[in-house]
Amino acid sequence: MKKSYKYIAAIYLIAIGLSFTSCENYLSESPSDAIPSENAITDAGTARAAIIGAYDAVQGYYASNYPTLGTITADNVVFNGTLSQYLQLDQNSIPTDNAITVPAYQGIYKAINSANAVIATVGTIKDPLLTEIEKNKILGEAYFIRALGYFDLARGWGGVQLQLKPTSDLGALKGIKRSTLSATYDQVLADLVQAETLLPEDATTRNRAQKSTVRALRARLHLYREQWTDAEDYATQVIANTTKYALVKPYKTFFTSPFLSAESVFELTFSSNDKNSFWNLWYPSTVGGQFTLKPSNSLVAKLNDVQIGGTRNTVIAGTGATVYGVLYNTISSSTDPSYVIRIAELYLIRAEARAKKATPDLPGAISDLNLVRARADVPAFAGTTQAEVIQAIEDENSLEFAFESHRWFDLVRTKRVGDVLGVANTNFWLFPLPYSDILSDPDVTQNPGY
Amino acid sequence: MNKRLLQNIFKLFFLLIVFLLQLESATAQQEKTISGIIIDAKTKEPIVGAVVAVRGTTIGVATTEKGVFSLKVKKLPAILVVSTVGYESQRINAYGTESLNISLKESVSRLDEVVITGYSTQERKSISGSIVTLNTKDALKDLPTAGINQLLQGKATGVQVLSNSGVPGGGITFRVRGSNSINAANEPLYIVDGVFISSSDPIRTGLGQQAASNPLSDINPSDIENLVILKDANATAIYGSLGANGVIIITTKRGKLNTKARIDLNISHGWSTAINKFKVTTGPETATLANEALLNTAIDNGLSPSSVTYLFPDPSKAPTYDRTDDLFRVAATTNYEVSAQGGTAKSTYYVGFGYLKQESIVKPSDFERYSARINYDNNLTDKLKVGTSLNLSRTWRNVSSNDNNPKGVINSALFVRSYLPVYNADGSYARYGSFDNHIALIDHLDNNAIGWRAIGNIFAEYTILPELKFRSNWSVDNNDVSENNYASTLISAGIATNGAADAYDTKNIVYTSEQVLTYIKSFGTNNKHSINALVGNTLNTVQQQYLSASGTGFATNDLKDISVAATRSGSSSRSESKLVSFFGKASYTYDSKYTIDGSLRADGSSKFGKNKRWGYFPSAGLTWNASKESFIRDLGLFNELKFRASAGYSGNQNGIGSYAALGLWSAGYNYVETAGTAPSQLANPDLTWETTRQIDIGTEFSVFNNRINIDIDYYNKYTTDLLLNVPVPYRSGFSSYLQNYGSVSNKGVEFALQTVNVKTTDFNWTTDFNISVNKNRIEKLASDISLGASGRNISILRQGYAVNSFQLYKQLYVDPQTGNAVYEDVNNDGKITSADRQIVGNALPKFTGGFTNEITYKNFSLNVFFYFQQGNKIMNMNDFFMVHGGTQNNIGFLPRQLERWQKPGDVTDIPRLTTYSGDPTVNGGSANNYGGNVASLSSRYLEDASFIRLKNITLGYTIPESITSKWHISKLRANISASNLLTFTNYKGLDPEVSSQGGNQNTAGYDWATVPQPRTIQVGLNVTF
Repeated sequence: MKKSYKYIAAIYLIAIGLSFTSCENYLSESPSDAIPSENAITDAGTARAAIIGAYDAVQGYYASNYPTLGTITADNVVFNGTLSQYLQLDQNSIPTDNAITVPAYQGIYKAINSANAVIATVGTIKDPLLTEIEKNKILGEAYFIRALGYFDLARGWGGVQLQLKPTSDLGALKGIKRSTLSATYDQVLADLVQAETLLPEDATTRNRAQKSTVRALRARLHLYREQWTDAEDYATQVIANTTKYALVKPYKTFFTSPFLSAESVFELTFSSNDKNSFWNLWYPSTVGGQFTLKPSNSLVAKLNDVQIGGTRNTVIAGTGATVYGVLYNTISSSTDPSYVIRIAELYLIRAEARAKKATPDLPGAISDLNLVRARADVPAFAGTTQAEVIQAIEDENSLEFAFESHRWFDLVRTKRVGDVLGVANTNFWLFPLPYSDILSDPDVTQNPGY
Repeated sequence: MNKRLLQNIFKLFFLLIVFLLQLESATAQQEKTISGIIIDAKTKEPIVGAVVAVRGTTIGVATTEKGVFSLKVKKLPAILVVSTVGYESQRINAYGTESLNISLKESVSRLDEVVITGYSTQERKSISGSIVTLNTKDALKDLPTAGINQLLQGKATGVQVLSNSGVPGGGITFRVRGSNSINAANEPLYIVDGVFISSSDPIRTGLGQQAASNPLSDINPSDIENLVILKDANATAIYGSLGANGVIIITTKRGKLNTKARIDLNISHGWSTAINKFKVTTGPETATLANEALLNTAIDNGLSPSSVTYLFPDPSKAPTYDRTDDLFRVAATTNYEVSAQGGTAKSTYYVGFGYLKQESIVKPSDFERYSARINYDNNLTDKLKVGTSLNLSRTWRNVSSNDNNPKGVINSALFVRSYLPVYNADGSYARYGSFDNHIALIDHLDNNAIGWRAIGNIFAEYTILPELKFRSNWSVDNNDVSENNYASTLISAGIATNGAADAYDTKNIVYTSEQVLTYIKSFGTNNKHSINALVGNTLNTVQQQYLSASGTGFATNDLKDISVAATRSGSSSRSESKLVSFFGKASYTYDSKYTIDGSLRADGSSKFGKNKRWGYFPSAGLTWNASKESFIRDLGLFNELKFRASAGYSGNQNGIGSYAALGLWSAGYNYVETAGTAPSQLANPDLTWETTRQIDIGTEFSVFNNRINIDIDYYNKYTTDLLLNVPVPYRSGFSSYLQNYGSVSNKGVEFALQTVNVKTTDFNWTTDFNISVNKNRIEKLASDISLGASGRNISILRQGYAVNSFQLYKQLYVDPQTGNAVYEDVNNDGKITSADRQIVGNALPKFTGGFTNEITYKNFSLNVFFYFQQGNKIMNMNDFFMVHGGTQNNIGFLPRQLERWQKPGDVTDIPRLTTYSGDPTVNGGSANNYGGNVASLSSRYLEDASFIRLKNITLGYTIPESITSKWHISKLRANISASNLLTFTNYKGLDPEVSSQGGNQNTAGYDWATVPQPRTIQVGLNVTF
């Protein structure tokens, strides 16, 4: 008897002793849908996956948030829903926790962080399956994505904090203050220069970055910085690639499936496994949408005027009180692309650059403008003065890109927000930085007025 | 504390036991037999199933049908402890010379009760922890709710229970002594017959941030014998890392040895209606308000009033279409239950079957449950007992979305402007703005969630020595919910895609293996010294698996399976976490007066970083049973008087991800049909336990011959190392970082009073009153965390304030001259900006409580139960949206909007209607009336939601046995009850007992197109054969 319980107790003690040593293994669990950060980019497969992940992040903010920021804030699109974040944008009284500006800002930095990880790591990979050419392509894409990210931040929020290294721990964040707008654009330029040398060019790719994509963004960057000759030069380089890019006719071709038309310089592709249901915000509930974003009456009037809108009235549908936008229209499959850069924009960039450069080239500007108008079956421009040409280009931009992220940013860059939209306080020409960043980041400063 | 020290402590525990065993064996002698009969002191009838235990050992038997018992002891004299439910337990010195005749008196005392505590049972008088025991008396069951945890509302101190909505089987909020945590779980640990069960909501159909189900509603409350709530650190420390939020131990019914089969039959039917229904403005009122907004806006914009074009130039011509009445119905509840229990000399059994069908008062949601239970125990030998407990249930829910979802049923009826017709001219469903057609949803919503829940264990108990018992328990909780939702082309969600189907399968599985060695021993003269000790370990594994599939494009609405959809996609994922625990607990009682106890538990969790995986949770307690002291007895005042004090630590790791400490790149970030990865989580190898320190001081006493019983407790909880998603700058590419940062405190007082007001043969009247006060405060936080209401950030967590605070612009008044709202300019900069939002209230009640009176007269019984809570606020989102001043073109108005300012001199809190969007920073300008920077985030929509509610009143009648015995029925009881008959509140919404954003614990206190609590009349019949 006496022995038996001693025996039991002894076994128990031994068992406990053993279990402490084996516990550590027993308690090691790892997920099956994620990989440890330190193994994230180590070979050809993971490098390819990482750059895809960066594109996914660009999709993340371009699917609906960024186009919303570029449209409802201006005069082509009005609020028609229930969600107050859209009302705030429409009224240009945007709180620091607006539920569109915050995720857009956050999403852009996610893309930048992914790009930073690729830039920091891919060069060091030793994997025979990853050729130097592919390595350069991946790196070039990462530089482009980072450039696009900082460009989209700069035009929305002004100069921002430049994160150029991937975040592996929070300590690395300390001490990075906001850069000036000019310094932010300088960083965009530096990345675009890198990307242009690293990237390839083929005749068909439109949904991943290539040399022409970089040049197109660079043309836009120079336009924003009012560097007219550079803008003209880079726009020309893209337009010159006529085997790849053309103004498609009729207008609706580019937003009708199959997508990736010759119109597209850069569009983000979605699929039935990777959906974009932005249409939901545009369509009325009778067809299953929310109808939060609605074409303004003035836009509808212009689009329906054949002298002004031409065939671009195909971008709206419906009658009376339920006229709605159909640029994003794949209601049964939710596969609408995000249209980031179209060749029409390059014509209008060049037109504006030609009209505004030190020695204006008005005939050249008008010729570019008319190409865009002709595609929409709108009569040729009849004005002659520089001011008329510039105004005509602004108006053309507004209609040509009615539901893409242009109008607001164009009015901001040309300082016309006050005149056109009546928002006189220039503080409100920039979006507020996220409330939570102001609270959590000692290095950040809020935009004035918020 | 390091691993080695822990090992040493455990060694000590064992050495102590081994040492005591040696003491015992030295005096071992020949076995002797003791036998006798147990009878009721008053009726002299034999008592069946009474437990006769030998004090200081684990030896015990139950009396037979004739009330007799017989057992063997090693030495004489022995002290026998005789106890059974409803009688005072008795202690007898047995000398083994003659058969004993023991008579038991009906119990009035509470301290002699035997109480289930962590892993063991103890007499109440020696417990130093704060523990509430509730027997599922009939009164508790008369409430027409599916979940046992819901029935605890107002019944126990220190427990706050709130139904999130009136949807049957829907989510509830349950807190024991306040919220400890911000990002980790605040749910208590539920243990059913030793099985750790999952309390996470498995339903994934989107319900607008509402918690869709109460996982405890899978258990039939009628199968439950009693329920124990462990509240303080001493009681919960034995559950270590799982116990910080309190522990609810549920014990189901088991048969008794040597009892005849008893069959119980329960039938009840109920009818529920809405207490209040939604009211909106009529068509003409809506048109008037809309016109007024247009006119005022034109004036604000400097336009001529004649430039305004009105939708209804003559508002009185606007038609009215009533939608909200269509939502409600008289909802039926049907409940059938049958159970059988009994036992032979060796084995006992309980089998039960139940069927419950409950309709929601708001169409079209329903809840249905089939439940079955089998409990079986068998004493294989004198020393070895094996048993099993098994709960099987199948639930079905027609899940209907409301709350924060514009396509929800209530939203689609409530928000649409009342002058708009329900149907188009061609008879098809009309839809407006973001909303669906409510009739279409009521008739065609097709969301089915079917849950299969298996909670079961098998256990073996081996009595190694009279003092030493080993118990091994192996259990599983398998909660499997499969959902099949079909949106036909008749509802908005299915129009665009020609039908859309979604299917989800969710498995939450908890495996637990538990080994416990218990040692109980009394020694010394008159056995003055008692020791009650145990050691054990558990291995706990939690698995979650998700499977989902969706399809769009169906040939016709009769085809609903994803397999026949034009486009299909699917996904699956899984996760697993493990917990290893070792624990020990010992208590020493001297002369039944003084008890000192201590416990220690070590937990290792797979969720935490390698560096800090193990947590150690000690506790200690003291009890002084003063009523045993002669100087107290001499006072002649107290029948019972007990003081207790305890302190200890418990931990929390629930609610965080299974792999929370790892630095991860997640997959699934795909593009152009290619697999992609992206950074998803920053590594934190130092991540460790959230720890709650708790001190509890309490007293329990009875006076006036046990007519008045009072329990008072004070506690002070302090939770440190919060598992907190600390917001990080977005420029990192991340939004938050899970780390141990921050502290939360909860302090409170609990008071419970039980009185026996009248006690005669025919007439009895007892009163229970309890009140709990809890003060919650965030002591330390990295920075404010604001959230809630779809990014409107109405809820805030801020250092120095309680969790669940509301931040809004405080409306001071509406200027009687201009009609514009004026808000408090907190930072005095003359402008209204986001810096002027402030904390204006809190969703947590200051106190909660219950007040129950039970009166029995002859065969009649009457139970009247009030529940109350005070001091909590509700953000009325219906007002937020529907008192919008004209800013929402697609939303109608609530009658409150009619109180708007119209002309100079009007005094009201509803500002002038306008949609003007001028400078949003001007205080007292019309831009901020409903839009601007304030954007209606105004304190005018925050309301006091304190209430007192006649939760239940039940009248029962038991047909005299003299009659029923002729029908071979031993008991027949009929009852009628009414729930939520009366509510006293200042809250202007439909019901103050709502929390529409209950899916997130940090967004409590919203009323947002939520199903209100119903008023229910129920009749029932109880038959016992």
